[in-house]
Amino acid sequence: MALLGQLASPSSWPTSWPQRAPFLGGGDQTVHAWQRYHVRYYSMTLLFIAFEMEMMFMYPWAVVFVAEGMKAMVEMGMFLAILSVGIVYGWREGIFRWQ
Amino acid sequence: MTALIAVLLLLAAGVWFGATVDAVAEAAVAGRPVRTALAAPFRRTALMLSRQAIETEHPDTLNHLLAPACYLVLAAAGLSVVPFAPGVAVTDIATGLVLWGACEALVVVVVFLNGWSANAPLPLIGGYRYVAIGLPAMLISMFVLIGTALPAQSLGVSAVVESQRVLINAVRQPLGLPLFLLLGLSITLRGPFNYGDSADLVGGTQAEVAGVQRLLWRGAKLAMLTAFSAMAATVFLGGYLGPVLPGPAWLVLKTALVMLMLVAITHLVARVPPARMLTWLWTVLLPLSFVDLVWAGLEAMR
Amino acid sequence: MAMTALARMAARAPVPVFVATGQGWLASCRNLAASVDVAVVTNIREAAILIVAGEPRDEDRDALRRLHDQMPHPRATAWWGARPFAEAGSAIEVSATDDPGPLLRSAFAALLARVRESEPDWLPDDPPNPWQGEGDHGQGGKGMMGGTPYGRPMAMTADDLRDGLALDSFTFTIGPFYPSLPPGLALELTLQGDVIQSARVVRPPLDPGEDAAGACRSMTVGRMLRLLELDALARRCEAVPVEDRDAVNGLKRWIGASCAMRAIPKGLGRLAGDDARARFTRMVAALGDAEASSIAGPGGRLVDLLPGLEWNEALLVINSFSHRDLVALAPREMEQEEDSEGSAEQREGHGI
Repeated sequence: MALLGQLASPSSWPTSWPQRAPFLGGGDQTVHAWQRYHVRYYSMTLLFIAFEMEMMFMYPWAVVFVAEGMKAMVEMGMFLAILSVGIVYGWREGIFRWQ
Repeated sequence: MTALIAVLLLLAAGVWFGATVDAVAEAAVAGRPVRTALAAPFRRTALMLSRQAIETEHPDTLNHLLAPACYLVLAAAGLSVVPFAPGVAVTDIATGLVLWGACEALVVVVVFLNGWSANAPLPLIGGYRYVAIGLPAMLISMFVLIGTALPAQSLGVSAVVESQRVLINAVRQPLGLPLFLLLGLSITLRGPFNYGDSADLVGGTQAEVAGVQRLLWRGAKLAMLTAFSAMAATVFLGGYLGPVLPGPAWLVLKTALVMLMLVAITHLVARVPPARMLTWLWTVLLPLSFVDLVWAGLEAMR
Repeated sequence: MAMTALARMAARAPVPVFVATGQGWLASCRNLAASVDVAVVTNIREAAILIVAGEPRDEDRDALRRLHDQMPHPRATAWWGARPFAEAGSAIEVSATDDPGPLLRSAFAALLARVRESEPDWLPDDPPNPWQGEGDHGQGGKGMMGGTPYGRPMAMTADDLRDGLALDSFTFTIGPFYPSLPPGLALELTLQGDVIQSARVVRPPLDPGEDAAGACRSMTVGRMLRLLELDALARRCEAVPVEDRDAVNGLKRWIGASCAMRAIPKGLGRLAGDDARARFTRMVAALGDAEASSIAGPGGRLVDLLPGLEWNEALLVINSFSHRDLVALAPREMEQEEDSEGSAEQREGHGI
């Protein structure tokens, strides 16, 4: 009840400009926080997409796995092995580091 | 209908239970009186309700409101695939695991939006940082979930439960539950996987919210903790299966057990810096999830 | 009716306080950490009462005003061994030697019951910059970024020091009341993403004094634990009585079991042959000792260690030094450019 009441009626205190300023322990900023942010892990996200695609093949594979037996096992093993090479390569190139 | 009511009841009970256990564990580790911690969730809720909700400088208002709401909806949607008894689930579909996976993935989006929408530096850093860890953590969880689908020969959650009549998956696939718990910590922003709402960013994505908004975000996190725990209990601990007690009682007990584990890890284990965790996720934990999948496969063919 | 029940329930919660650290910070923080009446929060958005612990430095006064105004209503300020500002109105005053617990409790209950009036802002209610855009949303104007949309300019591009990618660089000052920095330390940081490009000391840390090494160390270890996401353990550490051997040894066991030392990457923030992990390990081992430990002749500058580090790593490096070492490592820097808050006459004769 109280929750709904709070949500329905905006609080009796409107937010003032000094209140809106972002909390920086007494510090201040001169520009907006929204920016072209330098994401350090952008190369990792590409590797992620490769695995995400792989996931799509795994859903049907999982259902027929027991019926197909060893053949399905070997197929997925090959697939994962190839992707694992990608991880090793990415690691060597340092894509998991913040650089 | 009964299933829908059960989902809402379990969510509400889970939020209360999670908040209480969290407060008790925190007091115990901090060396403060544990008895007052029992009432702490109610008092804190009342406090947050009686305070002003702050608006930031030109926030992305739509996303600012949507983020906690969507988080809550994702928790409910995720919980809806969990069967309370044979055939009693809100969405008893043949692709329940896929639906749960979609909920996991969208949590990353929701947490990012929560950090983005405030237009403030610390929440923004929290949001971007969370994405880095949230994405690979999700991959790991999907591999171990697929592992549980192998013996069930189905992506339906009910089938996964039924496949555990002889032996639960936590024993049959010993790597599965520990790896899945990592995802639980990640999507509920807890302890060693709390990269979104971290203390070094004074609360990260929620650093700028106060009052009722803070309450909503916290409630959504606890709802997700409940949904995740119920899912882990179902997929790895046999869900409603168990002797003597009725099925739903077993599910609730097992859910509470998983919640206790997650809360204990939250307060007892240190978190590593994000770059280090990213390397571990890809080079140690993801290969471990491959091993889990192969293990599950060999075991299922036996 | 419902509102009063809610207020009564809320008033039974521990009083959420944020500590603005003045000259008397160490004793006050230790006292508050051990108090069951209050819960020290690390974010001003959670606090109901701002505690000014000891007289703030003159140059920190504007930062304190900014901090105060960010606190959500209903709110109050307690001046603990400090003179209230002229604009403070009906302030809660506590003498330096008193325990503020009961006073805070009653003020908190009065605030929630709306008996005590919530404090108004100390700063004028104006947007941070005058509106300069041409269109409805401040867009338009000269140059690539247009005017100053929504009252602040947009960040401008600069080359990244690691990969030379020209994305926005974001400059801001943080501190002197930032809970993950040593009390008093304020830095001006330039970030690209979450990696630090350059750092400058705006205010040096407050000097805790020679005889406070033991208490000071437990506060520093507490900050480190919080950076490692062990908030509950950090609280135990901040409240631990240094002379109680059993309590200190118990705490050390908790810290060891949490893998806190091993969580810090090796080689981070190397100075004089020691990295952050080694410094932190030694600091934890020395918990409970009253005497100061210092790295032998640090002879470096804190700001030279930070560029290239990610946010969390940078804070780990800063807090891995003992407070006294930091006072030596982060001296006040000569500033040519204008400093928005410490005007020339304020700085005169007010060295700490």
